[in-house]
Amino acid sequence: MREGSYQMKNRKPVFFIILIITAIMVYTAAFGLVIPLGRALELVIPGAKDIRFGIDIRGGVDAAFEPVNLKRKPTRQELESARSIIETRLDNQNILDRDVTIDDKNGYVIVRFPWQADEKDFDPEAAIRELGETAMLTFQDEQGNVLLNGSHVKKANVGTNPEDGRYVVQLEFDKKGTQLFSDATERLVKQKINIYMDETMIQSAVVQTHIPNGKAIIEGMKGIDEAKALSDKINAGALPFSLTAKTHSTISPTLGSGALEVMVQAGGTAFLIICVLLILYYRLPGFVACISLLIQVAGQILALSIPQITLTLTGIAGVILSIGMGVDANVIISERISEEMKSGKSLGYAISLGFKNAFSSVFDGNITVLIVGAILMIFGSGSLLSFAYTLLTGIFFNFVAGVTASRLMIYSLSQFEFLKKPRLYTCLSRRVTL
Amino acid sequence: MKVIDFYGKRWIFFAISMTILVIGVVMSFLNGVQLDIQFKGGSMLKYSYKGKIDADKAADITTDLTKRVVSTQTTTDLSSGQKRLIINIAGDYGLDVKDQEKLDVALKKEFPDAKLKLSESTMVEPFFGKKFLTNGIKAILLSSVLVVIYVWFRFRRIGGLSAGIMALVALFHDLMVVYVTCVIFRIPIGDSFVAVALTIIGYSINDTIVIYDRIRENFKKYPKEPIETMTNLSISQSMTRSINTNLRSEERRVVVFILAQVNSIESVQSFALPMAIGSISGCYSTICIAGPLWVAWKKHKGTEHKIYQ
Repeated sequence: MREGSYQMKNRKPVFFIILIITAIMVYTAAFGLVIPLGRALELVIPGAKDIRFGIDIRGGVDAAFEPVNLKRKPTRQELESARSIIETRLDNQNILDRDVTIDDKNGYVIVRFPWQADEKDFDPEAAIRELGETAMLTFQDEQGNVLLNGSHVKKANVGTNPEDGRYVVQLEFDKKGTQLFSDATERLVKQKINIYMDETMIQSAVVQTHIPNGKAIIEGMKGIDEAKALSDKINAGALPFSLTAKTHSTISPTLGSGALEVMVQAGGTAFLIICVLLILYYRLPGFVACISLLIQVAGQILALSIPQITLTLTGIAGVILSIGMGVDANVIISERISEEMKSGKSLGYAISLGFKNAFSSVFDGNITVLIVGAILMIFGSGSLLSFAYTLLTGIFFNFVAGVTASRLMIYSLSQFEFLKKPRLYTCLSRRVTL
Repeated sequence: MKVIDFYGKRWIFFAISMTILVIGVVMSFLNGVQLDIQFKGGSMLKYSYKGKIDADKAADITTDLTKRVVSTQTTTDLSSGQKRLIINIAGDYGLDVKDQEKLDVALKKEFPDAKLKLSESTMVEPFFGKKFLTNGIKAILLSSVLVVIYVWFRFRRIGGLSAGIMALVALFHDLMVVYVTCVIFRIPIGDSFVAVALTIIGYSINDTIVIYDRIRENFKKYPKEPIETMTNLSISQSMTRSINTNLRSEERRVVVFILAQVNSIESVQSFALPMAIGSISGCYSTICIAGPLWVAWKKHKGTEHKIYQ
């Protein structure tokens, strides 16, 4: 008896701890959080406002570029170069929020970028066409005279300086290029040679000495990434083909900037209705279910906003499915507890039996959905990945919030004297027996 | 509350489901199945415009430029009154972006007062479409198979394989309902169909599992009772839960659907409607199909006594 009462006292605060955690999560999910870590440092946790929405929601361009008139499949290196051209051009237009991926197997470069918020007369067709044009890579002196161009570069690759082991970019020119480069370096010792892609300067280097053999190195790279990026860009200038996009889609901003507000409002309304009904129908377990659903929704939002995973329409479907599963878990648990109460069990026993009986079906249900999610992660492409991601995080929060947090909260609350009335745990459904 | 005799009414349920499926098959022959451009490849352009526009003229211009058969259509959004011109270019291949620009210029020149503005364009090479389609089908099939294997394993005590297969039947029932919805409402089958199908698989299998779980539990409690009584009892016991859960989720979908209607986002509409109907079907198939069918199977095989011993 003494041990029992000790446990009782011990469990009461659990509910409030969970409540505080919930409040923090909900606040963070809604508004984001800035945690100062000393003077100029701060940790920013993005909230719902900073969720990256997919092209299908906020509009934008989705294009698969392929080489024009190329009889063979492009090599990996050529695709890397093509990507670097596209990335550079997107940089120039200040489109930083984008995905550029390579489909190595089929020889495509896939580009997705959203409509710019302030862009009124954005012309997506022109943008796609310009991205695919042959890159003009030029080597220029400081006066802007073109010394030689990208077609004279045989290849560029990353190497290390044998003296200090730092990363460099090695250049090799073809026959004509060797001649031109030799002339240029002879004339421009201790002066700069600038490398341009289209109209953008991508590198500037000081000529150290006359280079007659057509092999040059560019020093001063900060690391392998910078060296790789530069060599890709230079190779891009030697790319013998331009790119075109026969598979592409553009969507004008449909939901607009007020989308989030509308969605939050709609979601909030639906959530309120669900909560009212849950509480009316299931009483105390229903109330606990509402808190655990709050944790789940906030968790889902944070799981999207913190790693900046793109949320597409199908991703929203995943959120809806997993929140539905969360409601389901709570409904099953509440029904089960109520059933046990009606069959005359004591409160504590009814709760533990209710959870025990409910767990196996909640578990099985979630595992099967987990299987679907995992399959999608493997086979899904594009928007299906977003669905799989929200589904998987949803299942995680289902177990954390729907099962564990709910149980802790109900146990904790049932320790309070005034919350021990059996009718708080029995719902309107009638018990079915043989 | 009394136990409802679901098993006794099984023929009514089976007849209802068969009717729906037959309607679906007949409709897909009559209406034809619309594969989304995403899956079959092709080109579609959508312009918003003001005032009046001659859709046939627009089609002629497009035909001249592309040398392909073109069909055009104008629509008006219910909520905003925004008018749209939809240009479908025949052929299962995309349109080069340079040609598209030429077309853009030509159209704007022809209809200078219409304030044409491109609101959506989709160009898909058949190769991409095929890849999407096979990936989608692969995902649906593979997840179905794995789900059956899982049910088989978890419910081996009540004869897991039959339970798994009946769950699968219920699942395909729901998928068919989603498909029939798409056919009847002429919703093109695309990416969103796959997402809806997978969501419904999730819901449906979850529902079915809850009932199997109950059957397994009840057999432990009353090992002597006949299988149909047990199943009827289990379904009756979990029915409130099935309906309650579905109602709650349905509300969300209704909200999403309304939102989509108001903003006239076609992709969401084509997504929310099959989803709503599919999950009603998921609830129905669980209660009225999976359980009774499983009992019928067991009785047919004469294995109804080989449960939980």
